[in-house]
Amino acid sequence: MSAFEEFDKERREIDELLFKGYHVAAIREDLDGAKVTFVMGKPDKGQVTLLLLTADARKYIVTRYMEGKRANA
Amino acid sequence: MADLSIDLAGIKSPNPFWLASAPPTNTGYQVQRAFEAGWGGAVWKTLGDPIINTSSRFAAVHFNGQRVAGFNNIELITDRPLEVNLKEIYETKKRFPDRAVVASLMVEPKREKWHEIVKRVEDVGVDGLELNFGCPHGMAERGMGAASGQQPDLVESQTYWVKEVARTPVIVKLTPNITDITVVARHAAKGGADAVSMINTINSLAGVDIHTWNTIPHVGGKGAHGGYCGPAVKPIALSMVAECARDSRVGIPISGIGGISTWQDAVEFMLMGATGVQVCTAVMHHGFRIVEDMIDGLNNYLDEKGLASVTELTGKSVERYSNWGDLNLNYKVVARINTDKCINCNKCHIACEDTSHQCIDMLTGADGKAILKVREEDCVGCNLCSIVCPAEGAIDMVEVDSGEVPMTWNERQQEIARLNGSHSEAEVV
Repeated sequence: MSAFEEFDKERREIDELLFKGYHVAAIREDLDGAKVTFVMGKPDKGQVTLLLLTADARKYIVTRYMEGKRANA
Repeated sequence: MADLSIDLAGIKSPNPFWLASAPPTNTGYQVQRAFEAGWGGAVWKTLGDPIINTSSRFAAVHFNGQRVAGFNNIELITDRPLEVNLKEIYETKKRFPDRAVVASLMVEPKREKWHEIVKRVEDVGVDGLELNFGCPHGMAERGMGAASGQQPDLVESQTYWVKEVARTPVIVKLTPNITDITVVARHAAKGGADAVSMINTINSLAGVDIHTWNTIPHVGGKGAHGGYCGPAVKPIALSMVAECARDSRVGIPISGIGGISTWQDAVEFMLMGATGVQVCTAVMHHGFRIVEDMIDGLNNYLDEKGLASVTELTGKSVERYSNWGDLNLNYKVVARINTDKCINCNKCHIACEDTSHQCIDMLTGADGKAILKVREEDCVGCNLCSIVCPAEGAIDMVEVDSGEVPMTWNERQQEIARLNGSHSEAEVV
């Protein structure tokens, strides 16, 4: 799989969760990548965790998060 | 025709091109010949207690047919008595009153030594002083040159001693053989320096003869580290000039030195904060008359840019020199191969396939001919293919709109830290 395809797969997973109404609650980064916690409303209403491996996806998720913040500001 | 004159901390010259303190400024004969050729100023080869030089002093690094890509020397400061130099400085200044004559000085780090030499040198009418805290070889073993320049407190105190008696502007010449040149530059400023100049030469050993096993150069079978300069050091010098120019705590004018060979090099140093430049290796390679092209080229460039004075260049690019952490991660460029100019040497493919991101495909075009094509979605914009490409114009690096808002690493880390409620990673500053 090309680097772009690897990123694109992760991007689609992110977009899908955001489309469903999840929002980013936490991003924890370590040697294995970025573990992103998505929640729907309050945490107990539904929580999904994605482990993002690609650099572009780790960039993308924060960009999306920043855009969301700006849109809601 | 633009005004090429500069004023470096009170030292005026008709153009920004000065000879650096080095073998080309050893004697009045040489400096006067340089001024006849058009040089705007000269920093006289360092004055101090006369030394004794070795025979076999210089070496050069030639790279792939390029003569003198780098230059190495183990020559020391002047080997002539002070009075001989002063007489020639006086005569030179008298004959060329409009040129900047700056005396480079180096003595032991003792207050009375500095006072003595400053007074004697200023009496013959120099326009300024340059304190040599940079030479890395020979003199450093005696506690002078770079040995002084690597101790910020010693730079500050010696500059202060000079300023106690100096009547002309004082430039402090800095060594690059240090972790952070801005620290020393700041201490020079604290000591009262009117300007700093950089860089002096870099510790070096030009080579080893693989047949005789001697160092290059060697003196009867033994060698010692020298000082490296010439085109190879230009990026190092430019970075150090930029670091000092953007540090408000330095805050004094800069004379740029290090691998400057052309008017374009000079423009780069000035854009990055230098008021003027000093040249040595290019002159040792090609002679004094290279200044004619430098003056013509600079003049034409300024005219093309619509600038009335060369001083308008100084510092114009400094604000564009930032920290890695403040660069936009969502900015994107990709490589595009112009098949009409491509010579199908495949160097880009090999470079990308072996050492970068494997995004240049070797394909067959509709006409059956081999073509190279970039998979732009996989291209990270590293520039390597365009760097190795030997065909002018065959590869363009093209800016593409990522469609994303700008986001730097520092902004990203701040957002994550805020989100998580605590700092997760250090910012890059």
